[in-house]
Amino acid sequence: MAPKVETTVVDQDAQKYEQLHVHEVYEQIASHFSSTRYKPWPVIANFLASLPTGWVGLDSGTGNGKYLPLPTDRPGSLLTIGMDRSRNLLHAARTAGDQDVIREVVRGDVLDNPWRRGVFDYCISIATIHHLATHERRKQAIQRTLQAVSPSHGRVLIYVWAIDQDELSKRQIPTDNETHAGQDVFVPWVLSNQKKSEEDSERSQSQVYNRYYHMFAKGELAALVREAATELGMLVEQEPTRGGEKLSVKGVEVVQDGWERSNYYVELRLWQIDQV
Amino acid sequence: MVRLITHNLLSCHAKGCTTNNFPLQFKDAEIEHRDAEFNPEFIRGLLPKIEWKALVDTAKGLGDTSLPDEQPEMMDDELLKTLHHVLLEVHIEEGQMICPNCNHVYPISNGIPNMLLAEHEIA
Repeated sequence: MAPKVETTVVDQDAQKYEQLHVHEVYEQIASHFSSTRYKPWPVIANFLASLPTGWVGLDSGTGNGKYLPLPTDRPGSLLTIGMDRSRNLLHAARTAGDQDVIREVVRGDVLDNPWRRGVFDYCISIATIHHLATHERRKQAIQRTLQAVSPSHGRVLIYVWAIDQDELSKRQIPTDNETHAGQDVFVPWVLSNQKKSEEDSERSQSQVYNRYYHMFAKGELAALVREAATELGMLVEQEPTRGGEKLSVKGVEVVQDGWERSNYYVELRLWQIDQV
Repeated sequence: MVRLITHNLLSCHAKGCTTNNFPLQFKDAEIEHRDAEFNPEFIRGLLPKIEWKALVDTAKGLGDTSLPDEQPEMMDDELLKTLHHVLLEVHIEEGQMICPNCNHVYPISNGIPNMLLAEHEIA
């Protein structure tokens, strides 16, 4: 029987915890993981298809880079730069979608900001922020996406795993139903041992790698976005109609806030009004 | 990959390094040219993101003097093609990028720049 998702407690320094239970695991499972992650989710594909030609974006936590070749109907009309900590996943991301096209990838951390401030037109962060081990760090990662894009027209799309899994998902998430809070868990990845060295020839057991996830509760992602944006001095609302402004105002509009196939997502649009 | 488009967006993010931290300077750069499909509309859309002087200086440092020092107001097809080549067809495979302010070194290996900082360097 396949190993189950189990609850966990982050009981040490968050950065060390992520190093052990996220980064090191991805380096180990990268090649197998990558071969199972090739189908883009529709909301993300539609988001990228909606962007104008010539836009440049950041995929923060790109993994194997499956979103870098999009949109499929206009190849080469966007440039999405993939950033990830995992060397092995970046290696796969370099040639994502087409062995003959080299993708733009950078090794970096989603909590850093190694870019000119606000230089990107868009930023996506897909199935990444749930790997950060504290509320504060998850908020910070959202702030980095808001800071990476243009304050006047930047678009942001964030996806995280949800406690609420659809019936097709094999995962069952143990939760404390009383609190309605997110849940820290280990999600097992089973890697069959394919080493055929002398010592291993007799053994073909598989190995289980536990990845740390913070499974988001309903409403948690939207609330986190609100907190992240407010701290950066942004209003979280629709852009007001303009006319004779006396103040400069920065804001972010929540364009979509939903659930798709066991994930929560938010789509954001930044806006800015300059004093006249 | 580090192509010059990506290089033009990167800046040093080491602790306390907030001014004169762009553009990073290439050192010991090993270059490969790879053809990419020319899309003039894409290049036009890209331009507002580009810091022209940084691009021109960086290209010169790599031996490419095809771009004019001042950004022309009118972009003809020939210039768009030149830009296409400089931004998208020049790949830096190995080498280093060094911050002009704090001298932090970001290594490039197998075409992938490493922008990670050590724990004490994180802002």
